[in-house]
Amino acid sequence: MKQLIFLVALVHLLVPGHTQVKPFNGKPTDSIPVVQLEEVKVYGLTKNTSQQLLNYYTANQAATTEDILARLPELNMIRRSSYGMEPVIRTYSSGQSDLLIDGMRIHGACTDKMDPASIYVEPQNLQSVQIQTGHGFQSGSVIGGSVDLKLAEAIFEDSRRWSGSVSSGFQSAANAWYETGKLNYAGHRLAVMTNISWRKAGNYRSGGGARIPYSQYEKLNYGITALYKLNPRWTAKADLLLDDGWNIGYPALPMDVGYAGARIAALSLRNTSRMGKWQQTELKIYANSIRHFMDDSHRINVPMHMDMPGESRTYGGYASSKLIINRSWHLNLKADIASTFLKASMTMYQPGQLPMYMLTWPDNSTLQSGLGIVFSKRIDSASVFTLSTRVDLFRKVLTSQVAKDQLSVLNNPVNNINRVLKNIAVEYSCRFNEQLKIKTILSYSERMPTSSELYGFYLFNAFDGYDYIGNTLLKQENAWKAEANISGRSGIFQYGLTGYVSRINQYIMGIYQPGLSTMTIGANGVKQHVNLPYAMIAGVEASLIVQPDHSLWLINTTRYSYGEDHLKNALPMIPPVRNTSSLRKVIGPCAVQAELELATAQNRVSSMAMERKTSAYAIAHLRLMYSSTLAGNQFRIDGGVENLLDQAYREHLDWGGILRPGRNVYLQFTFQF
Amino acid sequence: MKRFIKQPFCIIAILSLVFLASCSKDSIEPDPSVDYIQLGSGFATGTSTHVEVYATDSAFTGYNKLYVLLKDSASGRPVDNAVISLNPMMAMTGMSHSAPKENPVSNIAINHFFPCSVSFIMPSTAGTWTLGVQVQNLENGKSGTASVTIGVKDPVYAKMFSFKSLADNSTTYFVGYVEPSRPIVGINDLELVIYKKQTMMTFPADSSLSVLVTPEMPTMNHGSPNNIDPVHIINGHYKGKVNFTMTGLWRLNLKLKSGATVVDSTHYIDLTF
Repeated sequence: MKQLIFLVALVHLLVPGHTQVKPFNGKPTDSIPVVQLEEVKVYGLTKNTSQQLLNYYTANQAATTEDILARLPELNMIRRSSYGMEPVIRTYSSGQSDLLIDGMRIHGACTDKMDPASIYVEPQNLQSVQIQTGHGFQSGSVIGGSVDLKLAEAIFEDSRRWSGSVSSGFQSAANAWYETGKLNYAGHRLAVMTNISWRKAGNYRSGGGARIPYSQYEKLNYGITALYKLNPRWTAKADLLLDDGWNIGYPALPMDVGYAGARIAALSLRNTSRMGKWQQTELKIYANSIRHFMDDSHRINVPMHMDMPGESRTYGGYASSKLIINRSWHLNLKADIASTFLKASMTMYQPGQLPMYMLTWPDNSTLQSGLGIVFSKRIDSASVFTLSTRVDLFRKVLTSQVAKDQLSVLNNPVNNINRVLKNIAVEYSCRFNEQLKIKTILSYSERMPTSSELYGFYLFNAFDGYDYIGNTLLKQENAWKAEANISGRSGIFQYGLTGYVSRINQYIMGIYQPGLSTMTIGANGVKQHVNLPYAMIAGVEASLIVQPDHSLWLINTTRYSYGEDHLKNALPMIPPVRNTSSLRKVIGPCAVQAELELATAQNRVSSMAMERKTSAYAIAHLRLMYSSTLAGNQFRIDGGVENLLDQAYREHLDWGGILRPGRNVYLQFTFQF
Repeated sequence: MKRFIKQPFCIIAILSLVFLASCSKDSIEPDPSVDYIQLGSGFATGTSTHVEVYATDSAFTGYNKLYVLLKDSASGRPVDNAVISLNPMMAMTGMSHSAPKENPVSNIAINHFFPCSVSFIMPSTAGTWTLGVQVQNLENGKSGTASVTIGVKDPVYAKMFSFKSLADNSTTYFVGYVEPSRPIVGINDLELVIYKKQTMMTFPADSSLSVLVTPEMPTMNHGSPNNIDPVHIINGHYKGKVNFTMTGLWRLNLKLKSGATVVDSTHYIDLTF
C-alpha cells in the first residue's frame, strides 16, 4: 500500500533488538518462518532472516510471485519456462510438500506440472509466505513441508476512505510489460480491496543474445476481497481471485499452453481476539477450479497435433483455533477437509482416421480429512517444547467406469484406496542469550502418493524423455527427519545456520520398465512409479547479515543440498552450492542495491533420470529505487539491470538446458493515492 | 358400448393385450439393445416354414454371427423347436465352394432366434452367396431346405484372412476376428476363430495352432501392455485378452505357430473405434 512506509518499515525492521517472537496471523510463528509482503504490516512480524531477505529481493516491483519464492533460502524452483516455475521445498518433490493458497488446497490441472498453484497468485494478491519445513502438520500430511501463500486483505484505514495505486513497467529481456492497479475502500465496518494486474512478455533474450523461442506469455489476474467486522471480536472475510493466462510458452517442453485459468473463492470467519481460552479461531470454506489447455499448434515439426485439456476442482474447509490451557501450555488445533477432482485427457488427430482419445489422468477424486494438534509448553523464559501430531484420512477413488477400464490395462487394482496417515514431531527451542539460540526438531511423517503417481497414464516427462505410468499399489512414503538451527546476533552481525537430514522410506520414483512400449512418439521408454527402499536427503542453509549502520546492509545466504537413493546413486534435481549476496545502501530518498549470485557446478547427477551436468556461474544485478511525493501523493521509481554482465547461464533445476534471461533492464513506475 | 366400458375386466383385458403385444415384440430379439438387420429370407419347401436370417450388421467377409428366425407360414407364429443345418455356397463362373459355418448348438430357439455363424471367405463381387438352411421343424415334424441369397461385402478393415501354412506349404487356414465387436479403452475379450480348408466344401475348425497377438497403433508406433495371447477353447475358437490404451486405429499383428514352427506371421487385423 505505501511503499514509502515500506522503506521506513524496513529500517525499523532491521534495527537490532527486535528479534522477539510475536504471534502473527494466528499462527505459532516460532517454528514457522513467515515471510511478509504487505508492506504496512511489516511491524508486527516475526523478524527472521527470510523476511529481511525478502524485503531486499522484492525491491524489484516487477517481480513475479515465482521470482520472490525463488529468493527464499528454503525454496528451489524447477523451471520449464520463464513462467510457471514449480516451487519445491529444499529438494523434496512437489508431491512431498504442500503448496496452499491462504490455507486452501488447490491442485494444478496440468499433468506435466505446468501450473503449480503459485502461478495463480500475483505479488499484489500476496500478503505473506509461510513456509513450514520441520513439520508441516498444520497444513497436511507432508514430508517435505508446506508453503502457504497468504492472500492480501483489504485495509481498514481511518484517514481516507478510498486509496489505491497504479503501476506500470517494462522489462527489456522479454519486451515485457507489467501493469497493475489496486483500489481499497475503507469504511467503518467494511473494507474492500480490488486489484488487477496484467503481464505480457515476448520471447526472452538469453545471456549472449539468443532469443529463446516459445518463452512468451500473457496473463491477467484480478480479484476482490472484503472484510466485514461483525463485532469487535469476529470478522468475516470473502475472497474471489481469478487468473487467466494465454499463449504461455514452455521452451523446455514439447507443448505450450493455450489457456490456463483459475477461479478461487473463499469465505471465512475469524476471531482475532487474544483474550479468553479459545483464541485466533478461524473457520473457512472454499472452492476453486482450474482449467488448463495444452497447445502444440505453434510448434513446428510436430509429428501429430494433439489436444490435452485438464481440469481440477477442489472444495474444502477448515477450522483452526488456539486453546490456552495455562500460562505455559497451549494447543493449536486444526481440522480440515478437502475434496479434489482431477481429469485430464489427450486427443490426437490423424487425417482420415478416428480421433485417438485417452485419459491421462483418469477421472479421480481425493477426499482428505485431517486433524492436527500442536501442544506447546513454555518450559522457562528461554525454552519451549512443542509436540506436533496429525492424522489424515485419505480416500482416492476412480470416479468413472471409463477411467477404471482404461487403468485396468496396467494390471493394477482400480478399487478405492483408503489410507490413514500419521505424523508426529517434537521440537525444542532454547534461547541461551542474544548470541545463541538453538532449535531442534525430530519428526516422523507420511505422505500420500499423488494422483499422477497412482493413476498417471503415459505422462511424458520431458526431463528424462520417458513416459510415466501410475501404480495403484504404491505405499505411502514415510520419513524420519532431523533439523537443527542455531541463530543469534553479535554487534553488527546476525547469523543463522540450519542443518537437516531425512531418511525417506518407500521413496517413490519412476523406474524403467523394459517390457512396456512407449506412448509418446520418440520417448526413451516407459517408467512406472515404484517404492524404492529408501532415499536420503540432507542439506545446510546459512545466512549472515552485516549492518554497519542504519543505511547500509549486507545480506549473504548459502545453501547446499545432498540426496542419494538406497544404492547411493544421486537423486535428480539436487541443486549445487548456491550463494547470494546483497548489498544495499540508502541515500536520502534513493536506495542502491547490488546483488551477486554464485553457484558451483553440479556434476553429481542422476544417470537414471538422464540428468545433465550444470556449470558454475556468477551473475550480478544492480537495482535503484527512488521515492518521493507528487501533489500530496507518493510515487516511486524502480529501475535496474539484472544479469548485468549478460552471462549465458542456467541453473541446475532448469529443464531442457534452456538458458536463463540475459541482461534485463527494467523500469517500473508506481503511483499511490 | 356403455356396458362394455363399464366392465373393468374388459379394460384390463385390452390393456393386457396391448402390453403383451409390446412385450412380445421386444423379447423376440436375443439382445434387445441391439438392432438386428434381416439379411435375407426364403421358404423351406415342404415344411410350411418361412426362414429369416438376421445379423447385427450387413454380411461381410469374415466371421458373421447369424440369427435364424423360423415362422409358421400359415400363422406367422415363431417356430422355436427345430433342427437347423447351414450350407453356405458360393456360386462362381465354372465352380462353386462352401465356407466355414457353425450350426445352432440347440434345437430350442433363444427368444425365437437360433444363433449360428457363417464365415464368408470372399465377398459377393466374385459370385453369389447362397445360404442353404435345412430345417427339420420339430413342431410339425416336416423337413425341408430354404435357400437364402445373401450379399456379402468386404469390410473397411479385413476381418478374416487366409494363409498357406509355412510348415507344409499346402494347408490353407482361415483366421477370423470375432471379438471385441465393441472395443473399449481398457481390457477387451479377444476371440479369434480358425478353420482349416480340407476340401472346397469342408472347412473344419482347427485347434492345433497357437496364436501370438501383438497390438499396435500403426500411426503412433506403440503397443499396449499386459495382453494375453488367445488359446483354443472349443470349435476353433481361441480366446485371450487385448488391451487398448486409447481410441483410434489399432492393428493386431498375428503370429501363428504349429508347435514350435511358425506357420504364418505376415497377417494382421485392423480395427478402429
